[in-house]
Amino acid sequence: MDFLTAILNGLSSGGTYAIIAIGYTMVYGIAKMLNFAHGDIIMVGGYAMFTTLLLVNQPIPALAVAIVFCVILGICVERFAYRPLRGSSPLAVLITAIGVSSLLQSLAQIVFGAAPKMPTRLQISGAWTFGELRIAYSTVVTLAVTVVVMSALTVFVKYTKPGRAMVAVSEDRGAAQLMGVNTNAIIAITFAIGSALAAVAAYLMLMKAPSLSNTLGAMPGIKAFTAAVIGGIGSIPGAMLGGILLGVIESVALSIPVLAPFTEAIEFAVLIVILLVKPAGLLGKTRREKV
Amino acid sequence: MKKFLSIVLAVLMVAGCCAALSSCSKDSETIKIGLSGPLTGDAAVYGLGVANAAQMAVDEINEKGGLNGIKLELKAMDDVNDKSKVQNNYAELISWGMQISLGCVTTQPALEFKTLSKEDNVFFMTPSASADAVRAESNGYQMCFADAKQGVAAANYVNTLNLSKIGIFYQSDLDYSTGIRNEFKANLSTGITVVEASFTTQTASNFETQIAQLRECEFIFMPIYYTPAALFMTQAKAETGIKTYYGCDGFDGIESAKGFTISEIPQKITMLTHFNSAATEGAAKTFIDNYTAKYGADTLNQFGASAYDCVYAIFGALKKAVEEGKTVDASTSASDMCEILKAQLNGGYEYTGAVTGTGTVKWTAEGFVNKEALVHVIKEANS
Repeated sequence: MDFLTAILNGLSSGGTYAIIAIGYTMVYGIAKMLNFAHGDIIMVGGYAMFTTLLLVNQPIPALAVAIVFCVILGICVERFAYRPLRGSSPLAVLITAIGVSSLLQSLAQIVFGAAPKMPTRLQISGAWTFGELRIAYSTVVTLAVTVVVMSALTVFVKYTKPGRAMVAVSEDRGAAQLMGVNTNAIIAITFAIGSALAAVAAYLMLMKAPSLSNTLGAMPGIKAFTAAVIGGIGSIPGAMLGGILLGVIESVALSIPVLAPFTEAIEFAVLIVILLVKPAGLLGKTRREKV
Repeated sequence: MKKFLSIVLAVLMVAGCCAALSSCSKDSETIKIGLSGPLTGDAAVYGLGVANAAQMAVDEINEKGGLNGIKLELKAMDDVNDKSKVQNNYAELISWGMQISLGCVTTQPALEFKTLSKEDNVFFMTPSASADAVRAESNGYQMCFADAKQGVAAANYVNTLNLSKIGIFYQSDLDYSTGIRNEFKANLSTGITVVEASFTTQTASNFETQIAQLRECEFIFMPIYYTPAALFMTQAKAETGIKTYYGCDGFDGIESAKGFTISEIPQKITMLTHFNSAATEGAAKTFIDNYTAKYGADTLNQFGASAYDCVYAIFGALKKAVEEGKTVDASTSASDMCEILKAQLNGGYEYTGAVTGTGTVKWTAEGFVNKEALVHVIKEANS
């Protein structure tokens, strides 16, 4: 029964990782860059919610404000930090992303201070009990949100014009541009979607554990990136699968006292094993390089 | 102008000589106790508590005639909780003629003080610097519980509670936490089943899994700092299986953690301490009354209570040494004083009537304090 509880908790944190990982994977697939500031967008979303809660003490408006704020921030970051570097070496873009990440973290610390905030208004506690098994409301909410986001994105990518343009850009940016796709706009939309998902992830995290500091998104960001790589970076279902898998591994490891101190080591070891066995990730496409 | 300046300088020099002379004449009659602590700055409340309480103890002892007529004298220097200030303070205390010391109030300066005092073999007993390393040299002693030794005191307490099962929630990548947890487990009665859950700095943002593991433990021991503790408690609000949280000095200040509404937590929250600032009887009560009458309640804290005990413990040890035929007076060198005090503390000296802990206080040969811990109830269970 303890094991089942651990799995359920894992699904819950895995759902959050999946939503963050989708942001990573979409940006990578379309802009071919690793947006390491993605985790910090989550943190900014958290603070946006915290600030809104001070004004209107309601979680839903707070979430809405956070989504809008993060979308604007994401588009701005893309426009002013990444777009001028398009076409330059991947290393320059990567370093810039890390710079943006530090900038956001430091700004948050200057504005809100280093002591963690506890927006308990966002917390959803309580659970359904079935005999010995308990399913927390927050787990159900997380899984529901993950499934909705996943289906909505699939529909968006497959059946809408901007969605199909996204696929086109990810397949071959040059060719898509020649076919009349506005790649800059598509990349901006991708960042907007990723940032909106980051705000949702912030809500899911604070709903379970209301502790908000300027490093809120740092570790989940890295875990989600790992999840995206495990699932196959660039693949949306892969990000989902990787996120859930990583969440479950983490939760099970934490629930075994002997393994608990080594949780992170185990998670990243899984990444290494998967990369050794399937270098493109679980659902990644292996592309033959032309020589 | 030059003439005027030279007169001023001459006057200053004469004044300086007089001051030196007057202090000299005063020096020869007292046993000098030196102390360095944060008297200004963020941690001033601790330093002032220590300086005030130590002065109070010195005054009381002197009123009753001192050590067979020899009075004690205290000098407190300000280190602003900055270890780089300690060297100057120490040099000044030594040139003042410090024979015994209360060391430093806070841990980082105390570690510096430890190194400096070792060279001159100056005895010190810190009221509050709790890192294990503070007493690593043979001239250093502690009145507060050393970090890891809190585990022993906590286990002694838990052993008296008649529990069959307890939970431990600790941070596996923090020496403070694992140190207490190891000592705690080593000293716990074998009849008690332990359920353990841990976290690391990286996993300190969500305790769902750990709460699921500890859900059925009525009593949870948490040797961690208050920030993760507050998060755990907030996340576990709905857990009716958990009745009591028990922490160590890391819980100090939890009620004022940002955004944490302690009244929302239904469980009872307790912590290990050596001083009850709300005591209504005994030596602690007398100390609190006298202290607040003299210095007000703003700086009343366990640091001061501990400093008060340090002075009395040192005084008691000196008195016993004199009774045993040792010569202790204003001319005893710091190093001789150190050997005399060490012989007492390592030779079974017991300090009775302590304000901190309960009853008698002893020291191990390593300089660790050995006394009973008190349980401070931060918050009763909501009914």
